[in-house]
Amino acid sequence: MKPTKKDRLGMALFMTPALVLFVLFFLIPVCYVLIVSLFQWNGMSAASFVGVKNYFTIWKDPVFRRSVLNNVIWALVAACVQVPLSVLMALILNRKPRGWKFFRTVYFFPQVISGIALAMLWSAMYNSEYGLINGFLHLIGKGELAINWLGTLNTALPALLIYWVFYIGYYMVIVMSDLSGVDRDFYEAAEIDGASKIQQAWFISLPMVKSSILTCMTLAAVMGLRQFEQVYLLTNGGPANRTSTMVLYLYKQIQNTRYGPANAASVMLICVGVIVILGIRALFQIERKRRK
Amino acid sequence: MKKILALILALALAVTAFACAAPAAAPAATEAPVEAAATEAPAEPVVEEGFNPASEVTLNFPCIWVGTDSKAAVFGEMVTAFNTEYAGRAKVVIEEQTDYQAYRDKIRTMLSAGQAPDLFSVDGTFKLADLAGSGKLMDFTPYLTDSDWSALYNDGALADATVDGKIIAIPFESAVFGIYYNTELLANAGYTEFPKTYDELFTMADALKAQGVIAFPLMTGENAWSSMLWYSQILLAIGGPDVYKNGLDDPAFVQAAEVLKKMFDYTSSDAVGAGAAVVNGHFLNFEAAVYTNGPWFLPRFAKEGINDLGTKVKFALPPEYVGGKGTYGGLAGTVQAYLCAGVQTDADKAAAVVEFYKFINQPEWLYKLAESSGAMFAVKLESNTNDIQVKQDLLAAANSAPYIVKHFNDSMPTAIGNALPAALDELVLGTVDAQGFVDLLKAAGQ
Amino acid sequence: MTKQKHATYLNRGDALKAGLGGILKWILLIYFALYTLFPLIWLFISSFKTNTELFADPFSLPAVWQISNYINALKVSGLIKMMGNSILIGGLSTVLNVLCASMLAYCLSRFRFRGRETIFTFFAAGILVPLNALMVPYFVIISKIGLYDTHAGLILLYSAIGIPMSTFIIRGLMDSLSREIEEAAYIDGCGFFGRYFRIILPLSRNGLVTAATFQFLTCWNEFVFANLLTSSQNVRTIQLGIRYFTNQFSTDFVSMYAAIVISIVPSIVGYMIFQKQIVSGLTSGAVKG
Repeated sequence: MKPTKKDRLGMALFMTPALVLFVLFFLIPVCYVLIVSLFQWNGMSAASFVGVKNYFTIWKDPVFRRSVLNNVIWALVAACVQVPLSVLMALILNRKPRGWKFFRTVYFFPQVISGIALAMLWSAMYNSEYGLINGFLHLIGKGELAINWLGTLNTALPALLIYWVFYIGYYMVIVMSDLSGVDRDFYEAAEIDGASKIQQAWFISLPMVKSSILTCMTLAAVMGLRQFEQVYLLTNGGPANRTSTMVLYLYKQIQNTRYGPANAASVMLICVGVIVILGIRALFQIERKRRK
Repeated sequence: MKKILALILALALAVTAFACAAPAAAPAATEAPVEAAATEAPAEPVVEEGFNPASEVTLNFPCIWVGTDSKAAVFGEMVTAFNTEYAGRAKVVIEEQTDYQAYRDKIRTMLSAGQAPDLFSVDGTFKLADLAGSGKLMDFTPYLTDSDWSALYNDGALADATVDGKIIAIPFESAVFGIYYNTELLANAGYTEFPKTYDELFTMADALKAQGVIAFPLMTGENAWSSMLWYSQILLAIGGPDVYKNGLDDPAFVQAAEVLKKMFDYTSSDAVGAGAAVVNGHFLNFEAAVYTNGPWFLPRFAKEGINDLGTKVKFALPPEYVGGKGTYGGLAGTVQAYLCAGVQTDADKAAAVVEFYKFINQPEWLYKLAESSGAMFAVKLESNTNDIQVKQDLLAAANSAPYIVKHFNDSMPTAIGNALPAALDELVLGTVDAQGFVDLLKAAGQ
Repeated sequence: MTKQKHATYLNRGDALKAGLGGILKWILLIYFALYTLFPLIWLFISSFKTNTELFADPFSLPAVWQISNYINALKVSGLIKMMGNSILIGGLSTVLNVLCASMLAYCLSRFRFRGRETIFTFFAAGILVPLNALMVPYFVIISKIGLYDTHAGLILLYSAIGIPMSTFIIRGLMDSLSREIEEAAYIDGCGFFGRYFRIILPLSRNGLVTAATFQFLTCWNEFVFANLLTSSQNVRTIQLGIRYFTNQFSTDFVSMYAAIVISIVPSIVGYMIFQKQIVSGLTSGAVKG
């Protein structure tokens, strides 16, 4: 609705704390990042201004371009596979099958465990000497397929994506908390009309939680673009930088004491991200208009 | 609403502009910070007799020798002893830093923010020339020139820590890298002696492979540590002690890469992407026969190895490369930790830093520290007959070594060392040849 | 809203489909449960092995169950204190974060005004800012405002870095609340604050709890800034306690796993309590339509 005069005062009051924190911890630091991205600086000795040279340098670096590509793949897989899976499971759990509380709690566990443990487990799973996956292949007599999953050029990235895509707790919780607000009466009415469970889910539940699906897809895309921890811990970008991501790239540049390119990479990450976010919002907006 | 919004935005921008000036000043401060450091340094440096500050001086020390580090116990005792002896005059406050990567990040961040800690240590990933360039480091030259303190050090140790005539760091922990082998696994393959040349080494590796044993546990994950050490040894064997003088253009780098690649034929299937824990696991679990690492690892053979590994490990010199410029007995080494200090404007504080560093570098303490942890130090120490045999053999070899040259990562710019793991992946996976491997390293350095 | 469909209820085809659907449903439910429980079980079992065993065969049972790993973990000076710090810092920053974010989300979701989408886009972009690149600016800012090595420093930083994410989640849920209830309240003379506290906040409770859960877990699992912005044991958090078992040359993984197991107990208990809250909120009835 349109705010009244009184509302405006309230709004100013309500928005200030978040805005102040945002300015202090996002705007100012990002300005810093922008400025440093124009310098050649090792973090210690004197810096020298080089303009946009750092941007060209990293763009010419095949590792950075691969990182961007990998991030886009992460974002796509997250938004197009992980989120739909999460929605599916949220819909199933929403019908309250036996033990649904247990399942819901359990699905969220991986988010609670420290990322180190998860990474250690999966690097052991994929290990070629003692990993369970190769053990399983040997068991079913397909030992010749056993390889070093995280150390082979064309299996490393898929291996990372596959194990990670099934950890859906995060998005499932968002969708479920939205679903739980849907009035039970709708389902009862539909039931009387003879709609099957699947039809109910498709025609009642899904449209009701569209905004949280949008939230999830955006978050998933953003998380995909920001992907760092699991890659860092599992492959550190290897083999041969094939699984590198933008944040990992910039982190390594910091370790190389090349602050200019590192910060240029941050700026580019933010730019790519804004485009993706606006793109997803625009898609949903178009769809909303089409429906009207 | 519009007005209020505009106001908030204006405020935000003002704060931004104001605050931006601060961090921007850091990189923009092109006006010779080195000179600034010189003027900020203590005016009257030498406080040899009697340290009597006006009030108790507190020094903060983000310290890695804490927690489960093998030096933690004795180092803790040293700090407590210092704090007791200097009670009322100086106090060192330890900040526990256990995660080494996070520690490096913190030190780098603090230096970039212009606030060096009072006391801290760095390893070879920090280049002393860069650190000197920050102008944030205390210059120890006046305290070390012709003093009893400088007499404690091995030859060349202090020269190594000197940049532009200033000693900006105190070499502390050093290391020499030997080769260690599992005598039982070698015996099973028909060997009682460790090979003297690389050709013989590969013949032995064939025999080990036939037994189903991993000859060399190697890795390309993390910093590719074990592979980097082997590369360093091979480089010395082929190119001799001066191999780093001409940079990566020396043909030895390509030849050594070929040898290293061959070693990967005799390694574990999980070597690509493996970390140090995987490599150590293979050796400690009797799966791999030949191992290399620094002296700090030696106590773990007995502590963690299965089947009494501790009694079955022997020391060996790295092999010789037939036709190479290296001399048999030459070793790769490193300074594992330099002690540094933030530049002090307060003379008392500077004096306290010196007192503390002198205190912890006393040979009696270091002797104890070496005995408890296996570590080696830049300060000259008596040999210790309580040491395990492999450590005694290593020290004897180090003492009679024709040369000890810093390992590859130490001898190269940080960016090249950091590029090694990925370049090694390419080499091992066959996407580049040895020349391509060196080219990748060169590209990383630009 | 509901698409009407007339079908013969429970003919044989439907029954078959329902049966198949049921089986598929249970396969999915159990698959995901095993998949998510596996890391936890593995972690638990591994925390009783020796390091050498762990690297010989990560998937075997321990030959001897090493209780000593847990003794090591509990011996870490102040592990409990660190947990307390994490709860305090995580809790307070979650409250601050969700409060600020929900107030902002309320304005962005329930009112139309110029600059609304701009502000939102800025915040959304905030989620993307790679925090690894901000070590130097955050260190400078926290030191400059005198909060280095204080609880307040971490609380403030954590609240702030979570705001874009929380705003995003809360706004997403607020957007789907019906306009009618609010407008009715408005006609009844409910003011700006009244509508927020009495209508929107209770109705978006699920969103708040979701955002709070994520925020708390972010704080609980955050390591880089906890290490960067603190120096004394009094302020340090559980993630530093877990890293206690790593050092320059090696990591005592099994003791670290024991510490992790100990440290996830409070988060799981906390999560279950939170979930109960949501469940009890479900009965409050219709919100949407």
